[in-house]
Amino acid sequence: MRPPATFSPDDIVVGHSTRMRAIFDFVKVVSRSDSSVIITGESGTGKEVIANLLHYSSSRRHQPFVAVSCALFSENLIETELFGHERGAFTGAIKDKPGRFELAQGGTLFLDDIDDVPLSMQVKLLRAIQNRTVERVGGTRSINVNVRVITGSKRDLKQMVAEGNFREDLYYRLNVLPIVLPPLRERREDIPVLTDFFFRKFAKARGMDVPAVSNAVRYAFSRYRWPGNVRELENSCERIVQTCTCGTVRSGCLAAGVLFGASDAAPAPVAGELAVPGEAPSISLDDRLREVESNLITWALKVSDGNKSKAAELLSIKRSTLGDRIARCGLVESVAREVESPVDLDESVPVAVSA
Amino acid sequence: MVSREQVEAVLGRIRPLMQADGGDIELVDLRGNSAHVRLTGMCAGCPSAHMTLYMGVELALRDEIKEFEELVVV
Repeated sequence: MRPPATFSPDDIVVGHSTRMRAIFDFVKVVSRSDSSVIITGESGTGKEVIANLLHYSSSRRHQPFVAVSCALFSENLIETELFGHERGAFTGAIKDKPGRFELAQGGTLFLDDIDDVPLSMQVKLLRAIQNRTVERVGGTRSINVNVRVITGSKRDLKQMVAEGNFREDLYYRLNVLPIVLPPLRERREDIPVLTDFFFRKFAKARGMDVPAVSNAVRYAFSRYRWPGNVRELENSCERIVQTCTCGTVRSGCLAAGVLFGASDAAPAPVAGELAVPGEAPSISLDDRLREVESNLITWALKVSDGNKSKAAELLSIKRSTLGDRIARCGLVESVAREVESPVDLDESVPVAVSA
Repeated sequence: MVSREQVEAVLGRIRPLMQADGGDIELVDLRGNSAHVRLTGMCAGCPSAHMTLYMGVELALRDEIKEFEELVVV
């Protein structure tokens, strides 16, 4: 159980994506109701944030918000966690202990990872939610509980029902108001807003200036798949803020996993590798500079979808200069080819099944 | 034996992003199955960049090239 103080509406960032805006509008509507809400989304998409928001915008906001992950407990323990136990119910039960349902009395109970609850426990959960009463383990007395139940699941419960791993009756009891949170890779337009928000937040916590973020880093962030979703992005930003020594976030600050992930999503660079044969290689400065130049131009053209004016802006040069340099680097044909057949990231990358 | 081309192929994957920020990762030498590399440019002096990049790049090299042994910072 977390104290309510850990949540503040300032923790919420509403991005630009229409899907998230629709979700926040829906939350506003259903926060007034007392019906069960089920929040489905991959790990790190913000299920608990939404549960918190629901609670703190409801009329129950002055009552407790109790969050519990059902994945944390073994089959036996989860029953005593949720329903409590009487003194002497089992070895070590030296005093009466209220369960999470009782602790949430009058407020909201958030049962996360509901998909990890074993079938045998699902029956008891159904009874408790349906009758709004619980019985402590080892007790006979029924205790009335007035709680709003919000559940979180990383798997699609409907499919689990079809596979026989989730009780159909409990599914329908829980699935009154469904909210589906999209993975971060399906709302990439929100990545810049979230990135800025997290950098600001962590820089403020550390008492330092908000770092500048290079275009290459933004490009990498927008390309990476983010399997850990917003939580992974948040952690990446935290790590960078804690380790940055120069005040500007550059590609060198990124975890190699993000760099490789972002690069692999993009087409291979046009410029050939620098071949340095022999023991004592001599380096041609002109060749080297031209290689850097052509890589940068290729990158800028990719980021701007082949729009030369935008690319020139990214590189802080004039549009006409860019044209000259493209010609000088002999990029014309290869770049033009690439822009004609851009690789669509979302389609070319296989979508992982949430774990 | 690990070839220069194999190592360059892995480094080449992240090179454009590094270069876009005025940096680079350079393959200085190959000794047996170990590669000696150098970070140059903007992030060359940053201990964090060294740490994360070298750890991650070594992992990627080992992932891609079975016989790869060690990444050495020079």
